[in-house]
Amino acid sequence: MAIHPAQLFSIVTGSPDPIYRQLVDQVRRLTAGGQLAPGDELPSVREVASNLAINPMTVSKAYGLLEAEGLLARRRGLGMVVAERPRGTRSAAERAALLRPTLERAAREARELEMDHDTVLSLFTHILKEQP
Amino acid sequence: MTQAIIQMQGVAKYFGGAIVLSSLDWEVRQGQVVGLLGRNGAGKTTLMECLLGLREADAGAVCLFGEDVSALSDAARARIGYVPQKSALFEWMTPLQMLDYFKAMYPRWNAVKVDALLERWGFDTLKLNKPVGRLSGGEQQRLSIIRALAHDPDLLVLDEPVSSLDPAGRRAFLTELVDGVIERGTTVVFSTHILTDLERVALDVAFLKEGRIGLQGPLDELLEGARNTTQGRRAEPVSLEDLFIQVTGGVSA
Repeated sequence: MAIHPAQLFSIVTGSPDPIYRQLVDQVRRLTAGGQLAPGDELPSVREVASNLAINPMTVSKAYGLLEAEGLLARRRGLGMVVAERPRGTRSAAERAALLRPTLERAAREARELEMDHDTVLSLFTHILKEQP
Repeated sequence: MTQAIIQMQGVAKYFGGAIVLSSLDWEVRQGQVVGLLGRNGAGKTTLMECLLGLREADAGAVCLFGEDVSALSDAARARIGYVPQKSALFEWMTPLQMLDYFKAMYPRWNAVKVDALLERWGFDTLKLNKPVGRLSGGEQQRLSIIRALAHDPDLLVLDEPVSSLDPAGRRAFLTELVDGVIERGTTVVFSTHILTDLERVALDVAFLKEGRIGLQGPLDELLEGARNTTQGRRAEPVSLEDLFIQVTGGVSA
């Protein structure tokens, strides 16, 4: 069970997505993808706030929502951990729903750039194959 | 319900024939971190000066910590930190002399914090012994911020505190705001045109328009509210910058 550093999170400013929502979405993606495993410890509110230079209340809000959703659990003395959940509970459809907002944004920008579908799809295929 | 730290009622301020503030009502509660937004010349500096009692309002009432600002007790005064837009520091003094001067005025001066900030923000022996007037704009602004944070204020008012700072200096300032100020539950009012800085730390925003606070609310809700059309359909997403232009009526629709 890993202990994740504050650098787990990154945010963009100037975005229409409020910062708390960016943090929530990041945890959802990381748990869906398995980088965050049940029992893993999340960085404390204070560490995340300090590392990103954001209001600690924003981090608390994100953690609170994720706890209400059942994705995170509060452990005495440990802070926030990833909740236990049976493997594979996230269906393919649920994962697709998580990715959709990001792709919608990309699609809008592609239309603005007047790129044709094939070019966009082959670019995305290419990006998928790149190592992060 | 938390205590109201700033209460302004029916405040008006005129300069000659120009109406800068008019029937302005505003309340900021304990622990709120509010970004004050408005176009150039909207009167943000005047509003901040009136709320601190540095400028007498032509009408209305201003209370800080429940006390009338025109008769503020020394105890209440010692709980306020202010970073003016134009740093009116004592230009002939060195930073060390200036900080010693202020130290004598505040019972709650945090010398450990001052030393740590001076070191972290690049004030070496040379700079500490140079007249303030010969420091760069950014250095003067950093010094002004250190002076305002030195007595661990309960109310911090910042008027464009980062306008002379480079990105690294702005980030260092924001980190200090998060670690050293917001963590303590300090009430903060912050004006800036650098919206990407503001959205990191401000949970609430207030827009000053036509002499009054036109819109105030939690930043998250304003951003999320602005993207829903009246039919509940999803409109194009809106950033804080879009919202600023919409609310302050910068570009006519």
